[in-house]
Amino acid sequence: MMEQKKKKAINRLQTMYPLRANIDKMYERGVEASKTGKPTAWCMVNWWEADPILKAMDVEVVYPENYGAVCAAFGTAPAYLDRSDADGFPTHMCGYARNCIGYTSRMTELGQIPPEAPMGGMAKPFLLLCSGALCDARYKWFQALGRYLDAPVWTVEIPHIGVAESQDPATRAQVIKFMVKELGEFVKFMERMLNKKMDWDKLAEVTDDLIKVNRLWHEINELRKARPCPMHSRDFWSCMNASLYPAGDPKESLKLYQDMYTEVKDRVDKKIGAVANEKYRMLFAELPPWHDLKIFDELADRGWNFVVESWAYHPAKPIDTTKVSNPLERIAAETYHWLTGYFDEAYKAKEYMGYFAYPYLEWARTYQCDGGLLHPLLTCRTATNHLMLIQDRLLNKLKVPTLVAEGDIVDLKLFNHAETMRKAETLEEMMDHYKQKRRDEGLEW
Amino acid sequence: MAYFMGIDIGSGTSKGVIVAAAQPLASHLLPSGVDYKATAQRLREELLARAGLSSEAIGYTVATGQGADSVSFSNQQVADTRCCARGINNIFPSVRTVIDVQGMFTQVIRLSEKGQVTNFVISEKCAAGSGRFLDIIANVLRIDLKDIGPLSLKARNPVTFTTGCAVFGESEAISRVSEGASKEDILAGVHRALANKISTLIDRVGLEKDCAIAGGGALNVGLVRSVEEALSIKLLVPPQPQFITALGAAIMAEEQAQLVV
Repeated sequence: MMEQKKKKAINRLQTMYPLRANIDKMYERGVEASKTGKPTAWCMVNWWEADPILKAMDVEVVYPENYGAVCAAFGTAPAYLDRSDADGFPTHMCGYARNCIGYTSRMTELGQIPPEAPMGGMAKPFLLLCSGALCDARYKWFQALGRYLDAPVWTVEIPHIGVAESQDPATRAQVIKFMVKELGEFVKFMERMLNKKMDWDKLAEVTDDLIKVNRLWHEINELRKARPCPMHSRDFWSCMNASLYPAGDPKESLKLYQDMYTEVKDRVDKKIGAVANEKYRMLFAELPPWHDLKIFDELADRGWNFVVESWAYHPAKPIDTTKVSNPLERIAAETYHWLTGYFDEAYKAKEYMGYFAYPYLEWARTYQCDGGLLHPLLTCRTATNHLMLIQDRLLNKLKVPTLVAEGDIVDLKLFNHAETMRKAETLEEMMDHYKQKRRDEGLEW
Repeated sequence: MAYFMGIDIGSGTSKGVIVAAAQPLASHLLPSGVDYKATAQRLREELLARAGLSSEAIGYTVATGQGADSVSFSNQQVADTRCCARGINNIFPSVRTVIDVQGMFTQVIRLSEKGQVTNFVISEKCAAGSGRFLDIIANVLRIDLKDIGPLSLKARNPVTFTTGCAVFGESEAISRVSEGASKEDILAGVHRALANKISTLIDRVGLEKDCAIAGGGALNVGLVRSVEEALSIKLLVPPQPQFITALGAAIMAEEQAQLVV
């Protein structure tokens, strides 16, 4: 008798698949571009500060951080991590950086893209573009690639201001001015590199398209506040890269996100959840263990529906920048707003926890979360240093308990699947306890 | 009369308890060895013999601990954190914080008046703060594990350990021995290092009285005293602290059986 295949507990969105496929094609596009002599850049996630400029100048872009996640999911990361270790880079360094360094080391040795590289690999770049946003140490990674690659390194920066400072309009003006100057210099550098002038109309159009993409993606995620939640974090992570990096043609992404909005809205109207029996509405903090995403299926079997996740990978709350005529200033305003968009509310609530922590408090309340899974990344200080604070504030302010499961984005040796599942059972007991506590204290859910 | 069994397969020792109406009827402890499955079977047979029962008399069995998967005769597996909370609640209903010093790790659990876990933290991925650290030091000093508690109470000038890490701690203990430090002073120093580690775990979840200590580590009077000094409180120590998690598992077996009915 044929064994019946067990139905997966997470009801994935059908519109996720074409969107994810379009994102994944960026590596093929990079390789094809490289073959025809078209420039290809390796670019860090920069929260739309440099992306529009690269797109407007017809540069194919791949994202080594995303490629770290791809290698982790495909199982090729361990060999690249070992290679980085063997080349003398510390094991406690960023998992994405170690994966990329190991990949580049191997590519240099072979003189071509390694045959085992998933999704066609990353083609040799003509430019390494760094960003100082959130992780201020990242530029050292691309500098280190100078051991293997003959490509210039350029860094775009954004000053990181505090919650209280954000309330001073002069501070905002100063930061925007700085960013516009930075972007202007980057445009000049690109014009020199490519030996062509920037098409400012095209830059305005690309910027406009990316803003539309982010607005729509934001609206899709707003629909997840519904009970039951129609879209699981797995679908968020599968599709976020059309917005976050942003991979693919923005016009194409806009169309695919529109299809997704229609599907998610339909689920909301019909009360279809991403998990059939939504027992616990969950929040996830920081990046997931890309090498062990199946753990979310096991947790879904227990009725855990991840309804919202890390703030840093979501687009900003929409603002109107249509009256800003200079595209560089518009780009700066949008990125600045992404970084500080929750500061007004944080200031009112007297929570001076900065850009990483406060949104979790707001979202745990507005998405009505029962609990959270916090994933401190042992090789990422930026994604980890605020988690203990978040754990404390969620429990003491909102009576939302969380579970800490240490691990890494790439290095599977640092994550204990069985231990996490054992702890998950204990968290359920805590969530049941605090559900009653929230009711006793008159909280909304 | 209905009977219920709790089996706790730990990394070093395996414990079993049979209860009836939430009261312990029989208990037994065995070294876990490498064949957890066989150990679980032997533990079951010994428990039944001690209680004078046949296997059919057991209404429900809960397995817990590192080797819970190996208890083939269990009806359910439950996390040891929950079992420990239920077990201590059965012995000391006033306890709101319990420190559970196990072979592999130490956990601090906050619990409600019903024995429900309300918060917890585990010293993981590291032997610092675990019973294993004491095993290592006892081996370095060539003394029996059961003697290290009383010996440490005779210390005059406890050694200050610069690390809580079991690996570096071993090297440090060897260095102190070669420098002429007494076993008593070294052991007292080790207990202080462990107590400091436990104290940082307590800081993570907060201390609410009453506070108890359980697990095999609670048999060590030197460790208990060091933790009391570090926290400036008097700890409640159950009569057989190493059985608390197995007792909790047996109590949960009884609760689950009632739900099933």
